[in-house]
Amino acid sequence: MARIELEAISKRYGDVHAVRDFSLVIEHGELVVLLGPSGCGKTTTLRMIAGFVPATSGRIRLGGRDVTNMPAHRRNTGLVFQGYALFPHLTAAENIAFGLQMRKLPEPVVREKVTRALRLVRLDDLGDRLPRQLSGGQQQRVALARALVIEPDALLLDEPLSNLDAKLREEVRVEIRQLQRALGLTTVMVTHDQDEALAMADRLVVMSAGAIQQIGTQRELYEHPRNRFVAGFVGRTNFLRGLLVEPGVFRSDGGLTLRYDGRSAPAGAVAPGASPSGARRALALRPERLAIGALADSARANRVAGTVEFASYLGAIIEYYVRLSSGEILRVHAPNTGAAGDRAWALGETVHVSWPVEVGLVLEDEHQPEEDHR
Amino acid sequence: MAPRRSVAGALVGPATLAVVLGLLVPLAILFRYSLNRFVPGRLMVEALTAENYVKFFTDPYYVAVLLRTLRVSGICMVLCLVLGFPLAYALARTGSRWKSVLVMLVVLPLFVGNAVRAAGWMVMFGSRGLLNTLLGVVGLIDRPLQLMYTEGAVIVGITAINLPFMVLTLESVIEGIDPAIEDAAASLGARPLQVFRRVILPLALPGVLAGTILVFILGMNAYATPILLGGPRFQMMGPLVYGQFAGLNNWPFGAALSFVLMTATLSLSAVSNLWIQRRYRR
Ligand SMILES: Nc1ncnc2c1ncn2[C@@H]1O[C@H](COP(=O)(O)OP(=O)(O)OP(=O)(O)O)[C@@H](O)[C@H]1O
Ligand SMILES: [Mg+2]
Repeated sequence: MARIELEAISKRYGDVHAVRDFSLVIEHGELVVLLGPSGCGKTTTLRMIAGFVPATSGRIRLGGRDVTNMPAHRRNTGLVFQGYALFPHLTAAENIAFGLQMRKLPEPVVREKVTRALRLVRLDDLGDRLPRQLSGGQQQRVALARALVIEPDALLLDEPLSNLDAKLREEVRVEIRQLQRALGLTTVMVTHDQDEALAMADRLVVMSAGAIQQIGTQRELYEHPRNRFVAGFVGRTNFLRGLLVEPGVFRSDGGLTLRYDGRSAPAGAVAPGASPSGARRALALRPERLAIGALADSARANRVAGTVEFASYLGAIIEYYVRLSSGEILRVHAPNTGAAGDRAWALGETVHVSWPVEVGLVLEDEHQPEEDHR
Repeated sequence: MAPRRSVAGALVGPATLAVVLGLLVPLAILFRYSLNRFVPGRLMVEALTAENYVKFFTDPYYVAVLLRTLRVSGICMVLCLVLGFPLAYALARTGSRWKSVLVMLVVLPLFVGNAVRAAGWMVMFGSRGLLNTLLGVVGLIDRPLQLMYTEGAVIVGITAINLPFMVLTLESVIEGIDPAIEDAAASLGARPLQVFRRVILPLALPGVLAGTILVFILGMNAYATPILLGGPRFQMMGPLVYGQFAGLNNWPFGAALSFVLMTATLSLSAVSNLWIQRRYRR
């Protein structure tokens, strides 16, 4: 049973707070993804768990052992590095055998485990190749096999897919997820690819400037972002800035009066009654929940006229930038259903954007947390 | 492909020509000289004889000089490797802004000429030198130790001169090893010593080979240091060759000595190269 417990770990480099007060418990067999912009401390967190970087403060426990002051080579973590970090002078099989040899397992056992590991990552025939004779995807799988074969207490993946092309990335992420599930490995994965994070995680940790912004499942983060940063980072979001006029009514800086339903507001979001009227807020609107049409849809509480300023054909959806009559811009994602009634909107065309009350989410109109610490 | 190859050919042309004219031709001439006969009064006489080589290998004095040269160069080479590796590693891995200054410090001794440096060693090692004075003051010795004009002094001197070559060679190779690879080894359970033996050393092998061979060749051919720090009774091959040419005007024997020195140097370098490769590669 290997559970990873991080208790308020922090890392400072001089006056740079790479990670601050990071607390998280990762249950046995769980896959947690650390998600955040470049430089937010993801790799540093992972390296503290692996033992390459000593934590400035806080405690780390792996499977109940306090490993805070234990050197990396005694922690039994399996790490897959961003660039794989395979041993270039050893063959794929020798790379995989390395950790087993360090554990002084008898040679026949090593051979047996290496063969099984190679089969697991579907590289049965390539054991004799040197890393430079393997493709990026194959190297990635050697790195994974090398980390898995030592039966680590924690599997740590630092952007393991970043060197693969889009198609391979999707394949390999499914493979990793299946292996991780089958072997019941407690896993922390770092990525700044949202799709990857959403596709693989049991839970996500959104970080910014070294601090945790929110922890939750995909659905929780998407439906109930705690702040503007999370709403903007997980999925795409329009933000309209403005004032609360009265509970349920928002006036944008451009002068639009919009209605929203605050009853289901989660912790962190602003409940309509809880905020004083006149408080500055941001109204978050997911682009795929906005409808675009030639006429205002009277069934929806919010209806705004505008002109199409920009359109991108993205395959499954068509993305429109609509300049509202108030001067503000909304991104709208229209499903590309191919149905006869559907039509594409041309640039400059007048349209109406509409949405029901439950789409709007009112959040504190804070600065991006990143901006605070620059 | 073909045009590129011919361009490459044209580019290495001048270097090839320089090597042939500057190295191979003189070597060929030198080899021819070594087969000539030396007649006092008439200097070099055309001949085709192996007697110079026979003289070298049958006279215990000359054989002893060769063996001493091999021993001194070998010890210096090992010292350079052992002292140079940690230094090179530290230099390669430092994140300090002062890195280029540190590299300069390593190279600095090369800016000082041989004679000046040897004078410095004399100040250090002489019977009234710094070391003896210090030891005397502390009370460890009651009369000066003989430090100058010993094999030890020569070894210290040559090692000091050659160390920068070793450090720079190793440093550039170690810098090419991704530090993440060391972390990977550690995360797989390798203790620091195992990381060194199983990962860093094999990957730094080209540098180790280049560095040791370079330093060995420099040691085998050392001239000024053995003379200045070894004194008149300490003979090594370099000064011996020069003495035959310049002092005794015995060109045939000097040429033969040169060839013995060169052959010993090259063959030992090649053998050690093969041995190390076989031992550590993979
Ligand atoms: N050795 C170091 N010395 C000084 N600062 C460092 C060091 N390592 C990391 N940092 C700083 O700590 C912060 C976090 O770095 P980290 O590598 O954890 O970011 P990251 O989230 O992994 O970013 P990316 O997505 O670009 O990989 C950055 O501001 C970085 O500049
Ligand atoms: Mg990173």
